[in-house]
Amino acid sequence: MAPVLPGSGRIPVTLLSGYLGAGKTTAVNRLLAAGAGRRLAVLVNDFGAVSVDAALIEARDATTISLANGCLCCAVSDDLGGALDGLAALPEPPEQVLIEASGVAHPARIARMAGGWPGFALDAVATVADPETLRARAADKFVGRLVRDQVEAADLLLLSRADLACPAAVADARALLAGLAPGRPVLDAAEAAAAPDLLLGPLVSGAQPRPLPGPAPHPAFSSRIWTPPGPIAPERMREILAALPAPIHRAKGFFVTPDGATMLAQRAGARVEIAPAAPAATAIVLIAAGPAETRENALPRAIAELDAAPFQDTRPGDAA
Amino acid sequence: MTDPSQITVFTARRIRTMNRSNPVATAVAVRDGRILEVGTPETLRPWLDAHPHTVDDRFRDAVLMPGFIDPHLHPTLAAILLPCHFITALEWRLPNRVSPPVTSQEAYMARLTEIEAGLADPAEPLITWGYHRIWHGAVTREMLNAVSSERPIVLWQRSFHEVVANDAAIDWMGLDRADLDRHPQVEPSTGRFFETGLSLAMRGMNPHLLAPQRFSGGLELVKQAIHWGGHTTIGELAYPLADDAGEWAALKAALDGDDVPFRTHFVPRGALRGAFDAQGADLARIDGYAARNTHRLRFGNGVKLFTDGGFFAELMQVQEPGFIDGHHGEWMMAPEAFERVARDLWHAGKRIHVHCTGDLGVELALDVLERLQFARPRFNHRFTIEHFGLSTPEQVRRIRDLGALVSANVYYVHELGEAYWQRSIGHERASSMSRLGALEREGVTTALHSDFTMAPALPLNSAWVAVNRVAESGAVIGAEERMSLDAAMRAITIDAAYVLGMENEIGSIRAGKAADFTVLGEDPWEVDPMALRDIPVLGTVFEGRHFPAAG
Ligand SMILES: [Zn+2]
Repeated sequence: MAPVLPGSGRIPVTLLSGYLGAGKTTAVNRLLAAGAGRRLAVLVNDFGAVSVDAALIEARDATTISLANGCLCCAVSDDLGGALDGLAALPEPPEQVLIEASGVAHPARIARMAGGWPGFALDAVATVADPETLRARAADKFVGRLVRDQVEAADLLLLSRADLACPAAVADARALLAGLAPGRPVLDAAEAAAAPDLLLGPLVSGAQPRPLPGPAPHPAFSSRIWTPPGPIAPERMREILAALPAPIHRAKGFFVTPDGATMLAQRAGARVEIAPAAPAATAIVLIAAGPAETRENALPRAIAELDAAPFQDTRPGDAA
Repeated sequence: MTDPSQITVFTARRIRTMNRSNPVATAVAVRDGRILEVGTPETLRPWLDAHPHTVDDRFRDAVLMPGFIDPHLHPTLAAILLPCHFITALEWRLPNRVSPPVTSQEAYMARLTEIEAGLADPAEPLITWGYHRIWHGAVTREMLNAVSSERPIVLWQRSFHEVVANDAAIDWMGLDRADLDRHPQVEPSTGRFFETGLSLAMRGMNPHLLAPQRFSGGLELVKQAIHWGGHTTIGELAYPLADDAGEWAALKAALDGDDVPFRTHFVPRGALRGAFDAQGADLARIDGYAARNTHRLRFGNGVKLFTDGGFFAELMQVQEPGFIDGHHGEWMMAPEAFERVARDLWHAGKRIHVHCTGDLGVELALDVLERLQFARPRFNHRFTIEHFGLSTPEQVRRIRDLGALVSANVYYVHELGEAYWQRSIGHERASSMSRLGALEREGVTTALHSDFTMAPALPLNSAWVAVNRVAESGAVIGAEERMSLDAAMRAITIDAAYVLGMENEIGSIRAGKAADFTVLGEDPWEVDPMALRDIPVLGTVFEGRHFPAAG
């Protein structure tokens, strides 16, 4: 049923969460406009929809598929699972899936659901917040707990309307986010959504990572490819990725363990995951966001430090 | 067979009319399915002198009540469940079997083994419902393998949120072991699939559960169960549950025949499943259903909305201090979206039924109702709080002040009262779930429902819980919130009719109403309140026709 991709073999899923009016739909539209050249499926409305709209973007022509579900009830049916099966069964399955969760969804739950579905794997949870309304919503009698859950479950936080909101509101929202989700990067939603590599992660399913930013540097992020000098134990790789300096929000790619196994490594925000993969070229894409100068400086320095790092001093046998 | 246009006089040991002006009678005259008059053979004289009639004394030893009404259940959901083998901690009485209480792991495994041995076809999957860890302990894949290594065996947990499967079932579901190993909510070693992991199991089970033949067989059992409980009217309170075309065809085939001894009042969803962020009510769809109305199947003015999640699944939204384990409930719709849809329905003059299980869900419904009343006051609007699991006494007064009604699932007290006291919300709040005594004290019109299959579709059983508040262990829980017998019997007859907006047609025995009766072996006002649920339901009369209980 599931498509056989090189590498991890599973289609990565990014979950876009956020309460009503936070700016999710704007972000999705921006992402679709910027996502030309990759096969990206967008599922709107995570759960329970009788019909799920999916926009499938490939190069310049967009197709919309609608999956009508003959589901019986919430206990028996699962529309999200059905929609994912539908995507996996397409003649050309998507390379990446973005799920725009409903405003009342608890993202941790949908992340487990989609990430655990056969043929799919969770890439990241991104939560959008509107700086003008975040504090009031996070304290609301009915949805305060939900809004805080959505922030706490995020790997990446996106501030929408950052250009329109008053600076004091943006600063206040940042402080609130930092308190609820310490260590999670806070990105500008408009910029991140215009950069699929940043929001959805780089495409690394091929034998070679695709060339990233393209001819001109992207306004929102910078990236570099780091080729590990030799085999690395999974636990060591986990430490390496976790220790990447602040502007680097994402890392994804393949490495080989001392036992000769290929592994997929990725970092999204503060979360690092290492999973077994089919043989693939060894290379890790690093992506940094933030002010252009900071990120352009950070990447070469990080790569130089990585190249100089000791890899041999860990126990080769402690593969995860 | 008597001429239907002729008058039939049914005499009975006693008739409890549920009409306070004329509460007790011994004879009722019926013509063309309607009541001409209820009273005594003497008071009926003017009718009988003027028209030909027959006297039918087949109920001479029985007690007649108005046909029972369950204003909130789900035939479609029940049709999926009833074909399963029941092994339950509490007794479930069904028309074709009784599932006795099974309260230990030993007894559970013995019963499962017995059911397995009784199945002829070795390939037939054995799906059993009712398993609960509190009573049955941790039943594992290996234990099920020991019952059968060939037959797929699936334990479906009581609240539907977990299954346990043996190896044959995992193969039958078409699942790859690697997918189970990496799933955070599947335990491959024990065969347990829970929460989001359950979706994987359901994907494999659905083709079996929803197979047309099984489903129509299930609806046949639902039909029997509804009759067996003594109902003559039910409310299907969230249509559609499935895809409309298929579900309607199945329900029409099963529930619209001349042999069906009850009518179904449909209350459509105000927003279809998944419309979490709805911009407004879909009035064209809602109003369009009425074109399908038949004699037995009818859409009226009611519309269903939801605030918070399920009570058995502990997904209700609870006010501070919340749940003991710190988990959080769910909203079924964004509160703003709920308000938008409710406002459209309110302005369209609809009767709004709102599923509210936790006290924060009730709070949202009441806050919105208060704003709607401020914007455009309505009287006799019958905004109804459905389920009413947790509430506060202050909310009950507010329900009264805002003119709202309640349709309560009181079975929560019986099945979950002690479990939620111990594990979920503590004693104080658990003992006041389904706060019926307060509703009665404040004079709020209240119906009782089963939400079948959340509770057995047995109105006398619901009334028994309401009047006694006996929890699973036999202890009384929340004695102050007990309902009087009168109020409980009204809650399954005339007050249930009122909640459905059908009080002029059904719900009491008086001149002009449908001749719907429930035939009882004993008088509920004469038995010990603890024996209420044991009163035999001998059958029903639906629109003048007698449908005796089977067997
Ligand atoms: Zn219900």
